[in-house]
Amino acid sequence: MKRRILALLLAACMIFSLAACTPGGNSAAPANTPSNNTETEKPKQDDMLSIIRMTSDWPTYFDPAVGSDFSDSITMINIYDPLVFPQIDGSVAPHIAKEWMISEDGLTYTFKIRDDVKFHSGNLLKASDVAFSMNRMLAIGEGYAYLYKGVVKEAVATDDTTVVMKLEKPFGPFISSLIRFMIVEEKLVMEHLDKSTNTYGEFGDYGKQWLLTHDAGSGPYFAKEVKLEEYVLGEKFEDYFLGWEENAPKYFKLSGAVEPVSVRTAMANKELEITDEIQPLENYNTMDTFEGVDLVAYESGTNMNLCLNTKKPPTDDIHFRKAMAYAFDYETVLQQIYPGAKRCHGGVPGILPGANRDIVPYEYNLEKAKEELAKSKYANDPSKWNITMSWCAEVPEQEKIALLLQANLAALGINIEITKKPFGSMIADAQTIETTPNASLVNNSPSYFEAGAMLKTRYHSSSTGTWEQMEWLQNDEVDAMIEDALATTDREERMEKYKKIQVVINDLCPTLWLFDWVEKRAAQVGYIDWNPYKYLKEGKSFVYPMGYSLYVRDMKVYPEKR
Amino acid sequence: MLVNWLKRIGTYLLVLLGLSILVFIIGRVIPGDPARQALGPRAPEEVVQALRVEMHLDKPYVTQYVLWLKGALKLDLGKSLMTRRPVIEDVKEFLPATLEIVSISALLMAVGGILLGILSTKYSDSWLDGIIRVISYLGIVSPAFVWAIIFMLVFGYNLPIFPTTGRIGLTITAPPTVTGMYTIDYLLNGDIVGFKDALAHLVLPSIALMLGGLAQAARITRSSMTENSTKDYILAEQAYGIPERKILFNYLLKPSLIPTVSVLSLDMASLFGSAFLVEQLFNFPGLSRYGMQAMLNKDLNAISAVVMILGIVFIIVNIFIDIVVAYLDPRVRLMGGGN
Repeated sequence: MKRRILALLLAACMIFSLAACTPGGNSAAPANTPSNNTETEKPKQDDMLSIIRMTSDWPTYFDPAVGSDFSDSITMINIYDPLVFPQIDGSVAPHIAKEWMISEDGLTYTFKIRDDVKFHSGNLLKASDVAFSMNRMLAIGEGYAYLYKGVVKEAVATDDTTVVMKLEKPFGPFISSLIRFMIVEEKLVMEHLDKSTNTYGEFGDYGKQWLLTHDAGSGPYFAKEVKLEEYVLGEKFEDYFLGWEENAPKYFKLSGAVEPVSVRTAMANKELEITDEIQPLENYNTMDTFEGVDLVAYESGTNMNLCLNTKKPPTDDIHFRKAMAYAFDYETVLQQIYPGAKRCHGGVPGILPGANRDIVPYEYNLEKAKEELAKSKYANDPSKWNITMSWCAEVPEQEKIALLLQANLAALGINIEITKKPFGSMIADAQTIETTPNASLVNNSPSYFEAGAMLKTRYHSSSTGTWEQMEWLQNDEVDAMIEDALATTDREERMEKYKKIQVVINDLCPTLWLFDWVEKRAAQVGYIDWNPYKYLKEGKSFVYPMGYSLYVRDMKVYPEKR
Repeated sequence: MLVNWLKRIGTYLLVLLGLSILVFIIGRVIPGDPARQALGPRAPEEVVQALRVEMHLDKPYVTQYVLWLKGALKLDLGKSLMTRRPVIEDVKEFLPATLEIVSISALLMAVGGILLGILSTKYSDSWLDGIIRVISYLGIVSPAFVWAIIFMLVFGYNLPIFPTTGRIGLTITAPPTVTGMYTIDYLLNGDIVGFKDALAHLVLPSIALMLGGLAQAARITRSSMTENSTKDYILAEQAYGIPERKILFNYLLKPSLIPTVSVLSLDMASLFGSAFLVEQLFNFPGLSRYGMQAMLNKDLNAISAVVMILGIVFIIVNIFIDIVVAYLDPRVRLMGGGN
């Protein structure tokens, strides 16, 4: 009997030993305080009423040299400071950089840095930190580094408040792109290099491991608690150089709990202030009925495209492509599949500076479609060409668009073979002309907030072979026009050039531009102030680059109204 | 007996080896480049290539597998593309949370299921038996994630009495880590407020998880006890005038539990599988939720680690249940320590 009991106890121990042998279970949750102690106090119950809780798709990497996704960007802009700050009219204003000068040849940018900005550690932000941040970003090459790699040759601090950035070639939108360049504290990062690896030579891991769960920023909030795979909790940085207004939130929390039922329950219980933008339509509609909750929908600079492979029959024929463009029922998409979305005027989302809103979009017109098809070299028997089409498995709504297109083209006698593909497979398919389908449904966003970003990644030959250009346009005239526009440092002149390029591309019809995306979120407007909601109510036009609409410092919380 | 156990352990090791090969192959045939997925579609190709080299993704499959296996034997499970740190660190953080939720569910499932089965037998064909039967059917036919959604809506939304997200509240400090299971660590630390909060966070997910198994255990216990109750030795005991209660607990229950325990062993192991969706819904940061995220992000090392750990847990549960069955059934002991 004793042996049996012993055996039972042993077996039980085997199960629990799995847990017991894993100490350090909370290792992913070190936190920062302004003085960078690793010990941190938990927020008090009363303080928790002054919080903005948001959800976003996970994971989150807020190291400025690593992150670039939605949740990364939201966290970064709240914890770090960029050199320049985007304005709601699409322009940029000085922020950490007080002013800048551009050399005649457009190759040297000299920035004067503010001398009153403190990092969360209490140290002053200097020009050397700016240079270090840029060089670190270029060395790591992840996150938003794609904006600066091949553009910035070097960054050098000439004194405590001056930093000089030399470019490889003239790049007109350089200042606009700096809204994605966040500054890290050199001293703090250098103190936390992991030298057990030599990924970046003498810099070891360049502080990547440490910055996964800590911050080295100067932004309005500091990372109080970071739970990988769960949430980031930020606390107000009292010494923020721009100061604070009354009722500014004391905390923000960005969590990865995006399950519709979790989000809905949290909104109903006022445990969530602003939702993510990826909830199903019916969930938004339900939340809209909650007291104090309203839906806030605004254009985000993303558009939905049906990319046509211009080098593969039959979509290599411009008239065939135009026939498709005239045969598609855009209104059904806008009314029933993506209600609230906006009609595209060409390939650049309407809210981007430099977008040409005068372009007349292709409309559903079966007669015109038939006329165009008759002009095409495939007019004799379009049905013998099986058009291949892929849609992204991660976005179920795209299937409805694919089926709608299939039904529309059937009226012209054109067959479509639809394939659902994971995005990873679509990226692989995009590598050659042969493997790229005739038509691919893709969402595209600009890397910086200007039409040039979209034009370069969507239609310049340098982006063929990637998922961003499944059209394989490879048009010398378009390439030259884009290069010329991007090299133009005068903003107004550059915008005019962008508009002309869009006219040329629109005429080539390499894409069916389906709609401009609308970012939709539910918010507790009953007890918080949130600028996008306010602007919509006032009828004021505004634009926010990805993540900036959730800049918590601009929000207000009124606990008494909860 | 010793030979029997050695044979069994050998079999389990082979199973784990087979499992590791299977997971490795499945991970490689899923479309998409993990390095590209980890760094984003716009990352420069040279950076993506450097990550491929670091992860050995540039090497032939057989080499990749051998390298992974060598590492795994030294508890080096590689680096997670998702959390960007060693997978073993992730396992240390997330496994205790899942073990905590699954242990509580398993305990509730076993005790509750057997208890309901006994009640159902004792009050056979009464209204109580009818209610238990309906509950059992509902439990069996509805998967755990459906219960999770219902509980979340009822007890989180309509009657908000239980927390519906995370392991502890935002204002509660995590306990010093001893086991990694918050309820136990709070108790060891003498922090009753923390213990209550952690327990409250476990209520809904653990009940949602265990309902299916509980229903099955109740049904099997009932039918087994009903069947045994007509056997000669029970009739003889009744004829001797032994009190009903004594017959029920001393002579009828023990042999009737053998099929229940066998089914419970499978149910306990499947709790880990059901936890994938339940943890996701409750945003409970456990290994199952981590595994699900790993699959969505094609995080190969993390997927392999999660599947292998679940395999090991499954084997441990099986060994445990074999011991329990051997305790309950003398025939099994006489045959050599297991079925």
